[in-house]
Amino acid sequence: MSKEKPFPEYRRKLGPGWWLSNSHFTQYMIREWTSFFVAVFSLIYIYELSLFASGARDSALTLMRNPGIIAFNVLALLFTLYHALTWFYLIGKVQPIKFGKTTSKPWQALLVNIVLLLIISYAVIQILVLR
Amino acid sequence: MGGFIAAFLLPVLIYLVGIAYPLGLWPVTGTDPTTSFLEHHHLGTLFLFVTVAGSLYHGIFRFQSTLTELGLARVKRALEAIGYLVIIIGILATAVYLLQYNPGFFSLP
Repeated sequence: MSKEKPFPEYRRKLGPGWWLSNSHFTQYMIREWTSFFVAVFSLIYIYELSLFASGARDSALTLMRNPGIIAFNVLALLFTLYHALTWFYLIGKVQPIKFGKTTSKPWQALLVNIVLLLIISYAVIQILVLR
Repeated sequence: MGGFIAAFLLPVLIYLVGIAYPLGLWPVTGTDPTTSFLEHHHLGTLFLFVTVAGSLYHGIFRFQSTLTELGLARVKRALEAIGYLVIIIGILATAVYLLQYNPGFFSLP
């Protein structure tokens, strides 16, 4: 049997800047770019762990105090929080919870997850850093 | 799972290690946070492994798929191969470094 299609397949070609044509696409792409900061922070921190493991603790701490690394970390935190907050909102949109006749709204999921994020962060600080 | 970890656990790690310690902000006083984590042998080491490994997986996986959406679809297979290689090496390296620092991790607390 021939696999030839009776009509030509139309595939819209998108240039590298397709995401700038619509604000929703731009938001989507900013959200996707948060992964760059997550990946780079993870790799830098793995390198710092290697210094700790090899006994070069001072070198690791000097690297952490580098102004360029601090600036990158501030950006990474902002992008990570952007990823987290938009994800919390999307959870509420994709998986609304039904309570009797009412259904939860996305902003409610956002609020609940922000509270959860704060509790988890405080627990990490309290149990692993302050104790 | 990686997205869950990056959303709930990574922000506090970035803040403590990358901002609060070098700038001397709350709650870091004296000891650096990484040493504090590693001193809590089991829980701290587990927290670092889960957070770093999960975030690395999430970050690299999403980033390579983002690059394909930005016009690099032709080299999708190569990007995937490089991405998974970085993920596997990164996760193994994290485990090795943490165990090297804390060899008694698998012993009972």
